[in-house]
Amino acid sequence: MILAVENLKVVYRGVILALDGVSLEVREGEAVALLGPNGAGKSSLVRAVAGLLSQFEGRVLDGHVRLFREDTTHLDPVRITGLGLTAVLEGRPIFRYLTPVENLVAAGHRLSPRELKEGMEEVFARFPRLYERRHEQAGYLSGGEQQMLLLGMALLTRPKVLVVDEPSLGLAPKLVEEVMRTLEALRREKNLSLLLVEQNARAALSIVDRVYVLERGRVVFEGDAKAAQEDQDVLEFYLGKEEVGFRQSKRYRRRKRWV
Amino acid sequence: MPDLLPYLIGGLANGALYGLLALGFVLVYRATSVVNFAIGEFLLVGAYLTYTFALFLPLPLAILAALPLAFLFGLLVERGFVRPLLGRSVVAVIMATIGLAAALDGVVQLLWGPDLKYLSGSLPNLGFQAGGIFVSSRAVWNLLLALPLGLGLLFALRRSRYGILVRAISEREVAALALGIPTARILAGVWGISALLATLAGALLAAASGVGPNLVFLGLKVFPVAILGGLDSVGGALLAGLILGVLEALSQRYLEPLLPGFTEALPFVVVLLVLLVRPYGLLGERQIERA
Repeated sequence: MILAVENLKVVYRGVILALDGVSLEVREGEAVALLGPNGAGKSSLVRAVAGLLSQFEGRVLDGHVRLFREDTTHLDPVRITGLGLTAVLEGRPIFRYLTPVENLVAAGHRLSPRELKEGMEEVFARFPRLYERRHEQAGYLSGGEQQMLLLGMALLTRPKVLVVDEPSLGLAPKLVEEVMRTLEALRREKNLSLLLVEQNARAALSIVDRVYVLERGRVVFEGDAKAAQEDQDVLEFYLGKEEVGFRQSKRYRRRKRWV
Repeated sequence: MPDLLPYLIGGLANGALYGLLALGFVLVYRATSVVNFAIGEFLLVGAYLTYTFALFLPLPLAILAALPLAFLFGLLVERGFVRPLLGRSVVAVIMATIGLAAALDGVVQLLWGPDLKYLSGSLPNLGFQAGGIFVSSRAVWNLLLALPLGLGLLFALRRSRYGILVRAISEREVAALALGIPTARILAGVWGISALLATLAGALLAAASGVGPNLVFLGLKVFPVAILGGLDSVGGALLAGLILGVLEALSQRYLEPLLPGFTEALPFVVVLLVLLVRPYGLLGERQIERA
């Protein structure tokens, strides 16, 4: 077990319950998708796992996060990344006033100058477009380029577990596919374990082994990717294959049932 | 015109001090978005530290001895007053620095007394005469220390790995944390450097004109200087310091006889005028408008 979340409860400002007893796990070398609609608690889980809750006025009420068997529930992000978990947060959090090169330097802060140089060359080799624009302000890169830069930055933290929050958000379908392909390639080459948090279920399902579906702070579905693709509920709510008639008329109640 | 040059030189000398102090102020503002109202007190503490060391050390050594202590003082302020308020509204931290300023004013007077003191010993005389113009030792020292230090700092912030980290944190602390960057440690270092710069300014001021509680008022000059330069621009701080220093000197020479007391207001008038044309200050950065 690389990453295990056990019965995690998270509150914001002491009252807003975002996660209500979530358990999930990511095994070695595995790619796991965490799906769910807006406000389901996906990003809260990412923050909790990365030790960033306090930055959002949130805290863990109950439960544990374990990384390589170590309890990291209340560790600070510096220690957690040191153990080998890197989270790419939602909303493309690059440093916009820095150039791509400087972004990578910041990300590779733990590396020796030599390792940093090699790492940067590797990133640029993988993303030639970034190399072309390496001295421009990163804020002016396109959404796809920013996402690639983020993945490159994450690589320079030398992770064993990569948690990626909504990489497809706001990207054109073609770019979404490219991001997914990149993630898959990275996982293979670097032997990463991947936790992919997505609303774009179809894209996520194309590269993962297992799936969790989160709704209103609880896990409502858990299974391998194949099973998810055949599950009626997942089909209906996350892949947009709605059956007409009876089922649709009862949609409201079906959603309720999960809570 | 022959009497103009001495004024210019004196202005530059003062301006260098303004620049040094504003540098310390801007560095903190840029890295942490905290407006440090206690910057004048940083200078005061630094000047008194130098004074104390100068009681039993030659002045250059006294300054060197005061600098590490000042750095430590900056770290302590960050630890004690800034970090506990992390995550609260920025205004909370700003209010804390105002409180700190008042408290430090009191403590300094308690420890060292309210009277004006002169340093024992002085810096080696570097004054010289060139073509009938006398350049004071004070001007040479101020410029010699402030300019390389300011430019060096600017370069370090642009190019060094530490500088890149500071800029990264200042833009998006959460993103920096997510990459495992030890933000707390780096920001504490920034406060330390800020206190160090203020102390150097204080020491130079003390060497030239003695130490007294009134040194604090130089802290007020920081605001027009920093705003003129662009609040988040380190290079701008240095440049604006020199500009305002020279303008003050010129005003002293030409405007003071006509408008007594105008020199005091001049920096603020200049800031107002410049901001009308350049809202981000002389070298302030524009916001990137793109999702």
